[in-house]
Amino acid sequence: MILDLERFQAQARPRWSSLESLLDALESRPDRRLNPAETEQLQELYAKVAADLNRVTHGALAPELRMYLERLVARAYAELYYAPPTASGIWQPRRWLRIFTAFPEAFRRQARYFALAVVITGLGCALGGLAVRYDPASVDVLLPADYLRNPGQHVHEEEQGQRAHSTQIEAAFSAGLIRHNIQVAMLAAALGVTFGVGTALLLFENGVLLGAVAVRYTQQGFGLFLTAWLLPHGVFEIPSILIAGQAGFYLARLLLRRREDRDVRESMREWLVLVAGLAMMLVWAGMMEAFFSQHHEPVLPYGLKVAVGAAELALLTIYLLLIGRRGAGANPH
Amino acid sequence: MTESQAIRRSTAAEVTIATPEGVLFRLPLAGPASRLYAMLLDIVIVLATVNGAGLLVYWIFSKAPGFGVLVTTIGEFAIGFVYGVLLEGFWNGQTIGKRLLHLRVIDRDGLPLRIEQAWVRNLMRVFDALPFAYLVGGISALSSPLMQRFGDRVAGTIVVRQTPLPAPREDSWTRQKYNSFMNHPTIAIKLRRAATPELAGLIQDALRRRDELAAYARREIYRELAAYLQSEISPFPDELVEMLSDEQYLINAAGVLFGDQRPSRVYG
Repeated sequence: MILDLERFQAQARPRWSSLESLLDALESRPDRRLNPAETEQLQELYAKVAADLNRVTHGALAPELRMYLERLVARAYAELYYAPPTASGIWQPRRWLRIFTAFPEAFRRQARYFALAVVITGLGCALGGLAVRYDPASVDVLLPADYLRNPGQHVHEEEQGQRAHSTQIEAAFSAGLIRHNIQVAMLAAALGVTFGVGTALLLFENGVLLGAVAVRYTQQGFGLFLTAWLLPHGVFEIPSILIAGQAGFYLARLLLRRREDRDVRESMREWLVLVAGLAMMLVWAGMMEAFFSQHHEPVLPYGLKVAVGAAELALLTIYLLLIGRRGAGANPH
Repeated sequence: MTESQAIRRSTAAEVTIATPEGVLFRLPLAGPASRLYAMLLDIVIVLATVNGAGLLVYWIFSKAPGFGVLVTTIGEFAIGFVYGVLLEGFWNGQTIGKRLLHLRVIDRDGLPLRIEQAWVRNLMRVFDALPFAYLVGGISALSSPLMQRFGDRVAGTIVVRQTPLPAPREDSWTRQKYNSFMNHPTIAIKLRRAATPELAGLIQDALRRRDELAAYARREIYRELAAYLQSEISPFPDELVEMLSDEQYLINAAGVLFGDQRPSRVYG
């Protein structure tokens, strides 16, 4: 069909403008909800303008007009086919509280990736521990900071209270810790796009450091100090890094098995829930590390610190294994 | 439109979306440079907000500066993510920087992006920003047909250019009382066949800029274009050419290409 562009434009221009003003109004609404009259009007205008676009594309040489109509059709299509969030109140607190049950549910559904993260970290631990145990020269390489290399001096300073402790410093310290840990954890989760290789390397490196420190302190007789030092925050921090690894491996698996991108888009919700959950865990860990872990005997008896850590671990285990409905929701993968 | 615009448009990256009704439309993709500028703008806005709010926080916590640091550190970190997520998720896929540079994030099917997608693509920044200055993300975008950084690939989003586009103006010279070419359907058909978009654009441009051209130049250009068309459309009925000036010849050709004379047509 060959168009008389001028007449065509004169006739069609009113419906283009009314579609444009309808779209302007809709796009300014955050929830993008349409009332029935608007839906009907939009549907009708969309069909007409899409037909206009078809005519211009195939019946006339009018690149500018074509672009203009394409833009209009794209906007109308977006409004018509977009399914807005189901809960009408995006700001409803209940929606946000759902994360507390969704997180352990997602954790259990993807437990095998958590197991993989544990295995890789465990291998790193073993390597780090064995290296320090049988090759003293490796200490300088594996343990970068002096307080990690020389536990005796560190323990002495801590127990003498030589390091200044004040609530103010601890508050600032905890913020730094939370931020750093969340960044590292998110990187581990995002490195899933390297098909899990980056995630595995990061977990392994983390494991090596952990194993090396543990063996170094235990070798020199500071095992109890180390346990009391690390346990109160470590019982949240270490699992959350493992969950970050779990999210990373989950993403890697998605990318490896995807047939259509649509699958990845839908399934990324699970990844998000895991990342949100571990971020909450790391906030707690950061506060414990700054306000509790850094106090030693004689201020806080080691037995108490270990007991607190053990209690936290028990609570976390119960939370991750029992909270939420068992087997709730369909298993996406 | 000029010829150079036509060429530029054909090489610019775009994505074609097919709707369930069988309507095809194209969306122009945003290049890495404009996205980088938008991001720099956003960084400036976030830093200004955080530092401005930080002064207030320090004033509130002046008795307890450590907690001031706690609040600002966490706040800065959170705002860095939440800024992009909330604006993209609830403000039509645009941060302030993107709006200023006419960019928009959308689902790769052409739909508005969902809040989960906004979260995913913004959280993935920790990887795309590696090792510095978004090198990973930049290389990813340049090597992807849809100009996606890794965050976009995983979230299933694309960034499109959305410059405001007014309805194009109308040309009055396609509207004339009588077009002798219309009496010769074979000529009209041959003309349409011969006219590439570039040639059609050239004719349109020559007519539009009629009054800008010196009389001599106009005569020469019109003569060359008319001669070229005649050579493309031979055999040409003699009685048609004898009556026509080169200019009228081009106007008739443009009338065939861009307009339609038949008054009996029904539109709409």
